[in-house]
Amino acid sequence: MRFEDVAALLERRAAGRWELYRKSARTRERDGGRGLSRITHRAEEGWAARWWDGSPAGMWFAAGSDAGGLAAAMDDAARLPAAEEPPPDWPKNPARKAAPPEPAEAADADPPDLAPALSEALAAAGSERIALGSLSLRAGEARERVANAAGLDAAQTLFAFDGVASAIARRGGSARAARAAFRWDPAAPDVDGLARRLAEAASLPLSDRASPFRTGQWLLSPPVAAAVLAAVSPAFCGERGPSWLAREEAASRAVRIVDDASPESAFDGEGVPSRRMLLVEAGEVVARLFDLRTGRAAGRRSTGHGVRPSFRVPPRCGARRIFLEASEPAAAATLAASVRRGLEARALTAPVRVDLAADRYEVEFTGVSIVAGREQGPLGGARASGRISELLRRIQAAGSDLAFFPLPFPAGSPTLLIERTSFD
Amino acid sequence: MEWDDAALARELESLAPGSDDVADVFSERLTEISIAWRDGSPGDPRVCVETGTAARRRARGDERLAFVAGSGDAAARAALRALRGEPSDDAPPAEAPSTERGPAEAARWMRRLPALLARHAPRHRLRLRLLRTERRIASARRPVVESARRLVSIEGIVVSASRLGDEERPFSFHAPDGGEIADALKAALVEAAAPRDRPIPVVAGETDVVLANGSAAVLFHEILAHPLEADAERSPLTASASASAGPITVTDLDVRDDPRRLDLFGGYERDDEGIAPRAVKLLLSGRVGARISDRSSGGRTGSSGHGRRAAASEPPQPRSSNVVVAAGSATSEELVRRLGDGLWIDEIQSGSVEPASGAFRLAFHRARRVRRGRFTDEIGPGFLHGEMLAALRRIEPVLGREAHVCRTLGWCARDGLVLPVQGEAPDVLVRGLSVRPAR
Repeated sequence: MRFEDVAALLERRAAGRWELYRKSARTRERDGGRGLSRITHRAEEGWAARWWDGSPAGMWFAAGSDAGGLAAAMDDAARLPAAEEPPPDWPKNPARKAAPPEPAEAADADPPDLAPALSEALAAAGSERIALGSLSLRAGEARERVANAAGLDAAQTLFAFDGVASAIARRGGSARAARAAFRWDPAAPDVDGLARRLAEAASLPLSDRASPFRTGQWLLSPPVAAAVLAAVSPAFCGERGPSWLAREEAASRAVRIVDDASPESAFDGEGVPSRRMLLVEAGEVVARLFDLRTGRAAGRRSTGHGVRPSFRVPPRCGARRIFLEASEPAAAATLAASVRRGLEARALTAPVRVDLAADRYEVEFTGVSIVAGREQGPLGGARASGRISELLRRIQAAGSDLAFFPLPFPAGSPTLLIERTSFD
Repeated sequence: MEWDDAALARELESLAPGSDDVADVFSERLTEISIAWRDGSPGDPRVCVETGTAARRRARGDERLAFVAGSGDAAARAALRALRGEPSDDAPPAEAPSTERGPAEAARWMRRLPALLARHAPRHRLRLRLLRTERRIASARRPVVESARRLVSIEGIVVSASRLGDEERPFSFHAPDGGEIADALKAALVEAAAPRDRPIPVVAGETDVVLANGSAAVLFHEILAHPLEADAERSPLTASASASAGPITVTDLDVRDDPRRLDLFGGYERDDEGIAPRAVKLLLSGRVGARISDRSSGGRTGSSGHGRRAAASEPPQPRSSNVVVAAGSATSEELVRRLGDGLWIDEIQSGSVEPASGAFRLAFHRARRVRRGRFTDEIGPGFLHGEMLAALRRIEPVLGREAHVCRTLGWCARDGLVLPVQGEAPDVLVRGLSVRPAR
């Protein structure tokens, strides 16, 4: 069955109230480390449909790895009960067509074997015995097509170059492993930067030194700050956020919070064009993110934030490429030099935990302590916790070193300086 | 998922000429039906029908894997062509959908679940998932193997009403579908919705703990099964085993990883390399036992039948299945008395381990404080943490006399790859674990 045949099937099932999505991905992956060398080629297909039917209307969702599987899934899903939900306002074809992307030749080749170079760079980066645990590099392209009953028929090609690496540091009888997800540039992979990140994340926790301060300034390196922002990002989705975000001074004026996926993809998982959304400016929340369903519930239009982490699940509202932008960027070294007494978080030692409703966060990290702008020594592990609202308001300054990380959606941040936080 | 078995066998043999070489074709059809339930009303129905085929060749430490969507002979041939690096046509090989349909299973649950929920946990936000997998594996010099499995998984929130107000409690229940699981589900719902006193925050520090109601299976899954997976990083546990053959914990403790327990969520008759699994003794009379292995890591003793794939597009890995701990002879009363002062935990929500350092962490939502051998306060959410060898050394030589299935343990993620697992354990008393509140 062709795409058009499935669209016709949907039109017969739910005239004027359906959406069809297809993703075809070709990826090449190289895995190495721990005595393994593996090349994997994948040619994956994913089809998904949702439709509104009945009166009052309800929504059904079906997915398959080919058109036949999708058709079978649609038959099966239609026999199940659906809760009442009005259909959304469907997007139509955008007036401005997205330019087709430059073909990325590197997506058609096996990723390079960077394991020897990374091993060497790790050895050079750390004072401990550090060994590469594993390295997985992936290159590929995905073609997406979305159509709906209102006449939308949009297609785009996305390229992905990402990877995961792990390293193990040993000192005496102690060992620590660290893992880092990263994106790589096929023209110039930053092996040294990745090695530095892994070496710090694996070797710093080997220090027995605990936090010397119960409170103090907190310097967050870009990967840590980006992880915190990614964890907080659901607060910006849908009609109503947590009450602490509705205050006039919800965040510091030192930063803006932006979501802008347009450099990477022309439209979201529902075919709505990507655009720059300024979420927080001058301390105030100035916009919120919507997909079709949350937009319908709020009486608003979608902002292009219907995300599909997989074709297997329906799109949901979410950040797509969220980042913190400094109002007056400073060099990261200047921020470190301005710390009077505090801790610098260089790597996470556990996933960031947030309770958006209760306005609480908890970040476990490793790093260094700083007094009068000078590093005092490594910090085995520390935990910062408190109110998310206070964390956002207490951002004192932000760096000029904005970097993005796959978390798993792209989230970015420069180095952040928080004026006061509790540690234990 | 029909193949030309004879032609496939010839091709696979040509790809794996050496006796240690591996060449196989793996095909999977996965059907997942998922329905949300909110206070007794079903909604948000989702059905996914997925097929995929992967061909693999491993020789002298080098492995290649090629995956295509679809199943059947055309997909197997397309995967083999991709493995050999030959060009393929863009159209994915499709196959007629299975005649067996999921809604029959779903209909059974649609009849059964509302009554159970209405009676025992009327306020809830749950998602029911019914999964059916059918797999076919052809390997060089081995017969074609087929397997099928049906699983049910319920996760979400149950609201417990009490004099002190509503409390939302996490709920999870995982079991193979088709068995007699209604009673177990009913008991889990009753327990989750039971009114309890308002919890007080746990005080950070060291405490003795009884892991009750099967929850010790989560501890052993983390601190024994993961470090003994053949491809795991060297851990304090494996370092200790290679340094000395002596016991590292009480000699009463026997722990196995047993995929043959088909009554448990992680069970299977054949692994994803077509091997009939065997139980692996992880801990025998207090000594570290064997490794959990697949064909690549099995060495001279061969695979233990733990080669598992998170999806057809992923290569097999040596992964744990069901952690089964042998029961002892102590009653609950005796364990409470032995505990003296400490925590009694019936349910562990999640766990994690870092094999290289041996550090582990278990999250719990509720616990009960025991003082002078008697239950006192309800304790709020927190984390238990420690080091694997130290925790094993501090296990008391008294184990509960009944092993309980831990139905809250269901999905295990390692390196982002998720597999069904489960376990069964008696009540276990561990001294001196670190505890801290979850804020």
